Amino acid sequence: MSEERVPCVEGLFSEEGGAKLHGAKCTSCGTPYFPKPTACHNPDCEESNIEDIDFGGNGVLWSYSVADFPPPPPHIFDKPFAPYAMGVVDMECGLRLIGQMVDKPEDVKVGAKVELVIEPLYHEDDKTFTSWKFKQL
Amino acid sequence: MQEVVVLGVGMHRFGKTGDDIVGTKSVKALCHEAVVGALKDAGVAWKQIEAVAAASSRFSGGKGWGLNGNDVVEDLGSTGIPVYNMSAGCAAGGNAFNVGYSMVAGGVYDMMLVVGGEVMPKGMIQTSGVEEATDPEFLRQRCIGMPGPSFWSTLARRRMFEYGTTEEQFSQVAVKARKCSVHNPNARFQKEITVEDVMASPYVSNPLRLFQICPVSNGAAAAIICSAEKAKQFTSKPVTVATSTVATMTFDDALPRALADPIPSTPSLHTEAQNAVKTAFEKSGIGPQDVSFTELQDNTCYYELAFPEEWGLCEAGQSESLLLAGETAPTGRMPINPSGGFVSFGEATTAMGVFQIAELTWQLRGQAGGRQVPDAKVGLAQTLGLGGNATAAILKR
Ligand SMILES: [Zn+2]
Repeated sequence: MSEERVPCVEGLFSEEGGAKLHGAKCTSCGTPYFPKPTACHNPDCEESNIEDIDFGGNGVLWSYSVADFPPPPPHIFDKPFAPYAMGVVDMECGLRLIGQMVDKPEDVKVGAKVELVIEPLYHEDDKTFTSWKFKQL
Repeated sequence: MQEVVVLGVGMHRFGKTGDDIVGTKSVKALCHEAVVGALKDAGVAWKQIEAVAAASSRFSGGKGWGLNGNDVVEDLGSTGIPVYNMSAGCAAGGNAFNVGYSMVAGGVYDMMLVVGGEVMPKGMIQTSGVEEATDPEFLRQRCIGMPGPSFWSTLARRRMFEYGTTEEQFSQVAVKARKCSVHNPNARFQKEITVEDVMASPYVSNPLRLFQICPVSNGAAAAIICSAEKAKQFTSKPVTVATSTVATMTFDDALPRALADPIPSTPSLHTEAQNAVKTAFEKSGIGPQDVSFTELQDNTCYYELAFPEEWGLCEAGQSESLLLAGETAPTGRMPINPSGGFVSFGEATTAMGVFQIAELTWQLRGQAGGRQVPDAKVGLAQTLGLGGNATAAILKR
């Protein structure tokens, strides 16, 4: 069974050559963004200069929560629903990023080192829809 | 600037659609009772109101356009007065109060009605109905799937990590809140509960349980405000508005609100609330040490522990010991939410900023019965709303 893997939202991330988020950085003040903003949000920035940049790599889990019940639409999930953890991670690239955890809720620990991965989120029409997630190292 | 006072307040008891309290009453009917109560309390006739500042709802009434103030004016008699409908998520009531305060202070009007009311839909509130890849809320739900309360449980868990806060301590906050609610005839829940009761309630979003998170409610609150000069015609002991502020969040905010934000340089969570409260202290010349009691937005018990520290009412990491020593009860050194708070009322979103003004007024007049803060002189109120909105108000006698 070789199902086609498709990002759950086009253009936000990719997995070829390693998990990558397609974000941006202001080259004037160095502020990273995901997704790409129309302009730099830093009020102390002299001049907004937004350039495309890919983010990946590792980070540290700042905190997390657990979805014990299915979230409302537009979330889509495989049935039966399986509880999952949602991590907030301080990435080495300078972003505080949220994402689902690959690890089971009971195994997740605040302060854990994690890596960014692209993993299945749900299945539909013989396709595997993916999203970015975190995996504890 | 004219000095502004609160002349009268009114409230419709909070409840849940279909119960004995609010039944199937419309938001207009709930507001009617609150406004009539406030007018009576103030000794003011409807025709003496010169303008209305109303919280704008996206859930109920207002002809589907958030024109809730217009509904109120039609209901009480179309006198042709100006109406300002304010939208700021759950901070809308506080926002409406600020607009009323600012206009009276600025001398535009002498006598205004501030009102907020809500009939809430069932189930979880959807913050966005938009299915577009440019909408951050859509991306949060599609790419991750974050039920509303997960935002609060993330913060609660971080506090547990930083300060060793326990689930029992979060539960103690709820126990304290419900102890106050017994003495509040407007609270939806008016029964005491034990730590065991709270710990036996199911997780809504681990580590937060059902009794530690406020449900949605229906309810309404109203306040009549006027210039201190005008107030002399009605009372010799008005409650003075020391200040009212509105703020939004700042760039260094540390909360995970969207998909990703730059890692902040400061530990400040909820900068909008901190900005509103700190500005209120600056503008009024009243400091944290002068505050007799605080009504803050406790959507979850977590906030009762975190906010007093962020605003300088106590030291960082001190809230748990103050709570356990009874210092956050009405008779303690740092009373928090003597009304019973959102945890006892449930959140009738846009009504909450005005609900707080009503509680501050009753407390400062010494009319709060069994939940009275002894010798209350200065009250602080704070709301928080979607989009990085916050408000604060300081009332004094
Ligand atoms: Zn910049």
